[in-house]
Amino acid sequence: MDTLNELLNGFAAALTWQNLLFAFLGCLLGTVIGVLPGVGPVAGVALLIPLTLNLDPAGSIIMLCAIFYGTQYGGTITSVLLNTPGEASSAITTIDGYAMTKLGRAGSALTIAAVGSFIGGSIATIGLVAAAKPLGELGLLVGPPEFFALMVVGISLLVALAGKSMVKALISGALGLLISMVGIDPVAGAPRFTFGMDRLLDGVSFVAVIVGVFGLSEILSYRKGADAPLVHAPGFRSLLPTRMEWRRSAPAIARGTGVGFGLGLVPGMTGSVSSLLSYVAEKKFSRHRHELGKGAVEGVAGPETANNAHANAALIPLFTLGIPASPTIAVLMGAFLQQGLTPGPSLFTEHSDIAWAIIASLFIGNVLLLLLNVPLVGLWTSILRVPAPILTALILLFMVIGAYTINFSVFDVFVMIGFGLLGLALRHLEIPLAPMVLTLVLGPLMERSLRESLEISQGDFSVFLSRPISAVLIAVGLLIICSPLLKLRKPKALTEDPEA
Amino acid sequence: MTMKSTLTQAPARARPARSVLTGIGAFGALGVYVLISSVDLGLWTSLGPGPGLFPFAMGAVLAAMSVVWLLQELKKPSAAGEGADRGLVIAVVVSLLVLAAVLDLLGFQLSMFLFLMYHLKIRGGRSWLSSLLIGLAGSVGAFYAFNYGLNVALPVSAIPALNLIGL
Repeated sequence: MDTLNELLNGFAAALTWQNLLFAFLGCLLGTVIGVLPGVGPVAGVALLIPLTLNLDPAGSIIMLCAIFYGTQYGGTITSVLLNTPGEASSAITTIDGYAMTKLGRAGSALTIAAVGSFIGGSIATIGLVAAAKPLGELGLLVGPPEFFALMVVGISLLVALAGKSMVKALISGALGLLISMVGIDPVAGAPRFTFGMDRLLDGVSFVAVIVGVFGLSEILSYRKGADAPLVHAPGFRSLLPTRMEWRRSAPAIARGTGVGFGLGLVPGMTGSVSSLLSYVAEKKFSRHRHELGKGAVEGVAGPETANNAHANAALIPLFTLGIPASPTIAVLMGAFLQQGLTPGPSLFTEHSDIAWAIIASLFIGNVLLLLLNVPLVGLWTSILRVPAPILTALILLFMVIGAYTINFSVFDVFVMIGFGLLGLALRHLEIPLAPMVLTLVLGPLMERSLRESLEISQGDFSVFLSRPISAVLIAVGLLIICSPLLKLRKPKALTEDPEA
Repeated sequence: MTMKSTLTQAPARARPARSVLTGIGAFGALGVYVLISSVDLGLWTSLGPGPGLFPFAMGAVLAAMSVVWLLQELKKPSAAGEGADRGLVIAVVVSLLVLAAVLDLLGFQLSMFLFLMYHLKIRGGRSWLSSLLIGLAGSVGAFYAFNYGLNVALPVSAIPALNLIGL
């Protein structure tokens, strides 16, 4: 009952006109980011953080969350109409989505994707409501050693799933941790890796690093090619699926919800993995599996539901334990911290009103996206007709504003440029970027919990093994990292996850 | 002798790509630098772990992984990633550096207008009209939208004459 009351209070806060406006703007911007091939959700959310810095914490996070799950909806549009995924988790949708477009069923593919996303997202949010209290209370029992061990597991999973080479993933993770250590040491107060520069005493700006590594490097790696593609938006009438399409979609939506929700809870699993495994599930369980790949509606309904259920479920570990499950969630966590909110169990005790307003806004955002996406599909596709030089110039404009306004300092613009070049080099060397962003956010928290644990135990490292929860978690982390030695191979498709 | 870009290597090769070796060297050197610096910071104090302990571990991971990567490359060289468009990289990076250098001097509106005109008209080959309209919207428009709409102060010119006319 407590939970219901708090959720209702959350709705009261989320339904104020200001917060509704922020959710609406977030949905709009998120859809645009999702539609634009090349600007992923990580860079998109990071790019728009500065826009929200002057807002109140609830409004700011409501808008950023809406941007985040808006990208999942937007990414579908280009997958279906252009055979080009707007973002990684919609990549698998291109197979049947584009085939449906060639069969003249683009409109119903987009409608079913939007409805599936709505259902998956809403059910995952109900899961968040149900899990918030019990997991939050469990989280309060977690001490520094358990917290450190939990983060070890999260990072291990991401490292193990990111890219083709674990060695490169570990390099990426170590780089992120090192960047996070620049500045004043949190315990002793000594400057570290500042090279005598006062500007670095507060550390390297998280937003400038993320915008550089993910956004600028993406632009720097553009190829010479065709200008804007020719897109024909489906007419309003063709947006209505047939009764048969609805009937065939329903089980796929149910399976996609289950897959997306389950995997969203696991740190390190990206939305692309969820949509891929949902497609695999359709191949195995669908009555029409022989039609998959030729324009089967299940191939759109399942993965699109899964990636949205994943996006919303991935907020559960963040809200309840303070663990970001994916790179985009890590950027969101950075935004929480910038607003003075620490995700985790204390969020529900110290900022209960804000936490529940954000959760309520997830329901509202899902409804807004359903209303926005289907009827306005023509508007979204028109974005794709904007010539590339104009889009590039405008994205660069936002990057500069974003980097500058973090500290109102040109220094951060230079930091962004430097990290853009680093990101380009990492892409060229095929070093995954995801572990870096995760460790960048978790680094300070991880170091603090390690040092607190060792101070409690007076320097005895066995503290991590003498406490049952942390011992199990450390063992799981080690098992994940050592899995290649045990020849536990992951499916080939997972190794090519561009989101990772 | 033909000049071959290190950014455009063929996928199959008998020896590690030069850019890959450079990358491994850079990460290895960074790891070693961090290891040495961390010792100076102090690995352990009377109160427990020192400020250098965590960086020391990360430096060790970085150095060790660089060695493992090098061994992997020597055994089975991998293909370096696809090459970037050098012209684009230079144009974007240099224009951003110039923009950042003059941002405080000329102010946001003028420096961003010039930056956008360069990317739209000179590099992008857009028409004068569309370049001017987008350039003005992205510079003057963005300045007013951020300053008065979002309460986010973008820089004004440090040159009094420009400042006087609102730039």
